[in-house]
Formats: sequence, C-alpha cells, structure tokens
Amino acid sequence: MPDAIVARALAKRYGRVAALADLTLRVGRGECLGFLGPNGAGKSTAVKILVGLVRATGGDAELLGRPAGDRRTRARIGYLPELFRYPDWLAAREVLGFHAKLMRLRDAARAIDLVLDEVGLRDRADDRVGTYSKGMQQRLGLAVALLGEPEIVFLDEPTSALDPVGRSDVRALIERLRARNTTVFLNSHLLGEVERVCDRVCVVDRGRVVAEGTVDALTGPSTSSGQARGVRVRSDDGWRDYDVARGEIPGLVARLVADGTRIHAVEPKQTTLEDRFLALVRHA
Amino acid sequence: MTVLLFAGLTLREFARRKLVAAVAVLTLAIVAFTAWGLHRLATAVVDGAPIADPGKHAAAAGIVILLAFLFSFVLALGAALVGAPAMGESIANGEILAVLARPLRRADVALGRWLGTVVALAVYVAVAGGVELLVVRVTTGYVPPQPLAALAYLCALGAVVTTAAVALATRLPALAAGVVSALLFGLAWIGGIIESIGLALGNQRLADAGTVVALVFPSDALWRGALYALQPAVFTAVAANVNGSGNGVNPFAVTSPPPAAMLAWACGWVVVVLVAGIAAFRTRDL
Repeated sequence: MPDAIVARALAKRYGRVAALADLTLRVGRGECLGFLGPNGAGKSTAVKILVGLVRATGGDAELLGRPAGDRRTRARIGYLPELFRYPDWLAAREVLGFHAKLMRLRDAARAIDLVLDEVGLRDRADDRVGTYSKGMQQRLGLAVALLGEPEIVFLDEPTSALDPVGRSDVRALIERLRARNTTVFLNSHLLGEVERVCDRVCVVDRGRVVAEGTVDALTGPSTSSGQARGVRVRSDDGWRDYDVARGEIPGLVARLVADGTRIHAVEPKQTTLEDRFLALVRHA
Repeated sequence: MTVLLFAGLTLREFARRKLVAAVAVLTLAIVAFTAWGLHRLATAVVDGAPIADPGKHAAAAGIVILLAFLFSFVLALGAALVGAPAMGESIANGEILAVLARPLRRADVALGRWLGTVVALAVYVAVAGGVELLVVRVTTGYVPPQPLAALAYLCALGAVVTTAAVALATRLPALAAGVVSALLFGLAWIGGIIESIGLALGNQRLADAGTVVALVFPSDALWRGALYALQPAVFTAVAANVNGSGNGVNPFAVTSPPPAAMLAWACGWVVVVLVAGIAAFRTRDL
C-alpha cells in the first residue's frame, strides 16, 4: 500500500515547551488511522503541521509524496479543525462556494450539493451559519473538509459537538470514505468511535508515540499485559468472575459442569481500547 | 484571483454585518446637519443685509476645512478599527484554519483583506466627502480649489492607517492592532505640529523630530495635502504671510502641498509595511 502520510521524527517546540517530539508514523492510502492521546499530547499540533498551518521545528513530513504544506498537495486534502468556525454572516452554501472557488473546483454546484447531502445539511444550506447549532456547524465543517473528494481527510475531533445520532452519522461517513479509498486521519477522544472505524491506532503522549498498531493488536491478549485474563460465567447463582487465562476457559467450564453447575453464559473478558489507552497514558 | 476573492469577501462582510448601513445612516445625519447649518449661514442677515459672496465663501471654506479635519479623524479611526478585525478576527476565532488548508498563499489572504478594506474606505471617502462638498456648493455656492485632489489625499490617509492595522493584525490581536494604528495616526498628527513649531521657531532638532515621525507614519503629510487642496488661495497667502516660507504651527493652514518625495515615500511606506505584515503572517503558527 503506497503511503498517503509519512512523518519522520516530526517535532515542534514553542520556546522550552515541546508540543511534539519525534513523531514518526506512516499512513497508507485508503487507511483510517485513529490518532489518540490525552489533552496536550500534541495531536492537534501534529495535524496542523501536516496540513501546513504550523511549521515543524524538527523532522519532516510528506503528504501524497510531497512535503507537508505544499500548496498543490493542499488541493487534494480536506481538513476539519478542532476549533471549527465559519463566518456566521454567510449561508452554508456560500461558505462551501467560497471554499470551492479557493480550490478552483469545476462543477462546484454539484460538488456542494453532494457534500451537503453527505452531512445532512441540504435543507438548511441557504440559512446563515449564525442560525446554526454547534452540531450543525460541525456538520458544515465536515462538508467543507469533504468538498472536492479529497484523497486525505484530517478530522480533528469531528464529533465533539454532535449528539449520538450525529456521531453515528459520522461513523457511517467515515465508513463511506474508507469504501472510496480515502485516507482518514481521525483525531478523537472518543475511543469507542476510533475502535469501531479505524484500521490502525497511534497513541501519543507528551508529544511522543507510545503505542501504534491495529486495534486488535493493541487490545489483544498478547499485548495487554495480562489484562485479557479472566472470564465471567453465569450460572443459576448469577454472574461470577474467574481469573484464568484464555486457554484455560474450556477446562474451567468442563470442571464447573462436572461439579453440577448449570451454565447459562460464558463471557471472556475483553481489553477495550479505552483500557489499553488508559494503561499507556497512566503508565507514561 | 484569490486576492480578489478575499477582497470581495471583506466587502460582503462589511455589508452583511450592517457596517455599511450604520455608516450610511450616520453620514446622512451629519450631511443633513451641516446642510442645515450652511443654509442658515447662506441666508443669514448681518446689519440688515445678506452676507456678500466673498464673506460667505470664506466662511464656507473655513467650515469645509474644519469638517475635513474631523472627517480625517473619523476616517483614520474607522480605517484602524475596520482594517484590524478584517485581518485579525478570522485568525483569533479560528475561521482562518480551514481556509489556509486550501491551496493558496497566505499573502493572498492579507492582500485581499487589505484591498477590500481600502476599497471600502475609498468608496466611503468618495461618497461621504463628495456629498458633503455638493451640499456646500448647493447651499453656499462655494467650491474648494481642488476637491478631487483633497478626496484623493484623504483616501491615501485612510490607506496608510488601514495598512498599519492590517499588517499589525497579522501578528497582534485585532483590538491591539486597531488601537496601535489609531494611536500612530494621533502620534503622526502631533509629530506634524512639532515639525511646524520647529520650523516656525527655527529649531532644527524639533523640526527633524517631526520629520522622523512623518517618515515613520506618513499620515499627517497626507492630511496637509488634503488641507492644501481645500484651502482657497487667500488662506494660503495669509498663512504664508503669518508663517513665512514654511508651514506654520496652525494645523488648519499650510503654504504648500507635501513634496513629491514625501508622497513617493508614503506610497513606498504602504508597500514596505504591507510586505512586512505578509512576511509576519507567512511565518505565523496558527
């Protein structure tokens, strides 16, 4: 898989403060990467360097084979900032029209209708942004990011202002982007969301990568430092926990049945991405 | 192309945010008030007889100069307080983030914002100044010697102040950039008076200090150009008689227009400050 995003030892310092230190990662084309980290970990800084808003003080990065920030490459990316804000005196359609002109899109009207449908804003497209709720403004931000079918989409906390329905819509949207082979760089605090839609996850803390891999690899028993041990068994007496390794579960069940226990359900304990994330961040 | 997009966006913002409507209403009120005052002057009876044309025109010329002086202050404040947010507000509130991720140069954004503000100021000067001069002509029959030149000087004054505001707002918060630009305009005005005092008293150091201020912020030279263009010949002659060869301490009377070198410097100053602002914006982390 060719690389869509490459970062090599990317660093950013603001005076003495290191916002990002030694970030190295690769994201393949069509891949969805979940970029996780606690507040102040350097996630947004990394995204801003990649889209050309912030200049790195160390290392380098490439997008679609060109240096990050390259003007021509920026025509092929979409970006939803964490701090999304659009002129409140313009209608959503006008905001998109302005961005379409900046991108020199040929069939702008069609492209605008397409993204308005994609984010569910078609009915309110001619209303001024000032009349929108926070969630609707975030949907507009998504529409701006998706305009012109970009090859890479950077989504910085895309669901922070959305209700559960909106979050579900964004998950479906990301699935559609993946189906179209669009690379998605998803920066989010919502670990469940990342777990569901991302191929790979990169966890950063204090400006450094502390873990990287597929969701399965990060949450699987081999990497969970014993956290995947254990099983919950429901019998006539209710739920009971047993501290056994995965391989010992069949033996445990056979022993319980042999002892005359009537078993209704067996649930091996799973390590969630949240468990893993907390372990990584707290340990660091 | 992109520069024009941002200039158009700036003009649309002024119109949509009711700035144009508010300025239009206030300008109409001021025009109506001065029209009433000038009509009273034109129809006034002194010692049982109406004022003769020369006296009426001299009074009207004085009023025009006073109005132009107040207008230059309003214009400078407007240029500072409109130019700075035009550039700085979208940076502060984050609107610029999604925009700058597009395939454009940051210079295009700054130039477009500057151009939009300068066009808005030029239209304001042309319309408000033009209507006011028309009112003076209709009510008193007086026409200043070079009305178009005066309006052009005032446009240039607005452009100088807004250039500072836009350039400063690429780095400073919009409020700070606006206030600093307005203060620089005030400083330049005081610098002009200091230079005049220096010349009148033959104190070269004082005159040089004023010249330095004029070079740092050339708005006062442009005000003096507007003043010269509005001043009837008799006023210039009186000023020359009182002040000698140089411009005197009276900020409402000059004996000569600003030298061509000063006007060239003002143009160069706009370019240099704008380029410095763009350079500051290009290297700014957002």
